[in-house]
Amino acid sequence: MSRRLCAGGCMVDEVLAKWRAARWSIIPETVESPAMHVALDEALLNAVIAGTRGPTLRFWAWASPAVIIGRFQSLKNEVDAEAAQAMGVTVVRRLSGGGAMYVRPGASITYSLYVPDAMLQGMTIRDSYAFCDAWVVQSLRKLGADLSYVPLNDIASPVGKVGGAAQARRPGAVLHHTTIAWNMDAGEMMRILRIGREKISDKGIGSAAKRVHPLSEQVSVSREQVVATLEADFRHQYIWEAGSISSEEMAAASSLVHSKYGMIAWTQELE
Amino acid sequence: MTHHGEYKVPGGKLVVADFSVVANRLAGVRVSGDFFLFPDGAIHVIAAALEGAPVDALPSHWADRIRAALDPSVEMLGFGPDDVAEAVRRGLHG
Repeated sequence: MSRRLCAGGCMVDEVLAKWRAARWSIIPETVESPAMHVALDEALLNAVIAGTRGPTLRFWAWASPAVIIGRFQSLKNEVDAEAAQAMGVTVVRRLSGGGAMYVRPGASITYSLYVPDAMLQGMTIRDSYAFCDAWVVQSLRKLGADLSYVPLNDIASPVGKVGGAAQARRPGAVLHHTTIAWNMDAGEMMRILRIGREKISDKGIGSAAKRVHPLSEQVSVSREQVVATLEADFRHQYIWEAGSISSEEMAAASSLVHSKYGMIAWTQELE
Repeated sequence: MTHHGEYKVPGGKLVVADFSVVANRLAGVRVSGDFFLFPDGAIHVIAAALEGAPVDALPSHWADRIRAALDPSVEMLGFGPDDVAEAVRRGLHG
């Protein structure tokens, strides 16, 4: 992990030492519905807070196309709900802030880190975004992609954005999750997401679709090989064990789907 | 009549304000956007701080109300109180 992340005094070495001393659980890609995935994020974050789970890396696989909006976004401002429904796209709101993302099965790479907050202690939130994704940037560069971390929360090539990260924090633990565009249908995305002129007003470009540079255009291996490489590189850096989602965690997540993430009251909260 | 204002912070995030005006004061304020805010419950504190604020005040007054309402431990990333006030100003004046 690189010292170039920050000029100094930002705790990279101290935090890295804690990450290296910890025993990580790695949960491989599991196919779930969009609502279940965002519910699992809260359930696993709660498990870390409760102490029943240690630091964890989880990879996601999408069962169906979805738009995942940020915790603070207005549904109607961001999503054409009618177009989404007509196209069979589920809309869910996640626990973390940030922007809407459009995902399709096999077209994105998504992972979550669940970390006891002591393991990021002393590091600013801003620095922690870059730190949590540094291994991924390094790994993808190794595969030939010309990527760097662009604060606050983007993984980008010189052409455009490749991925984005978001965090949710609770007393006791931090959730950091990232989605990388593997390939994309810009036309589909533009039909579903409302990306207003104001949003791209400081980017100096005319089309929001141009802002995304999918990873498949930058590496010569398959999506599965990329995921395998990411996992292998993480395992290489840290002490790890093969992990899975416990039946208690699955039950907690199902309950969150019924009470929150699958409910219109949550999805439309900021209308 | 409802008002809608959007402001993209240069190098930062989008801030959106939706509200009504009742007796020359902001009412039914909703603040949204693709920013980060810790803890997340502070989103309601920001909106509540603007509730009842006079529409003919300077935007800096609206920003001050937000600053006064927020606990110092709250972290706003990609936006700040002045950016929320700018979204409100745009909602009023286009």
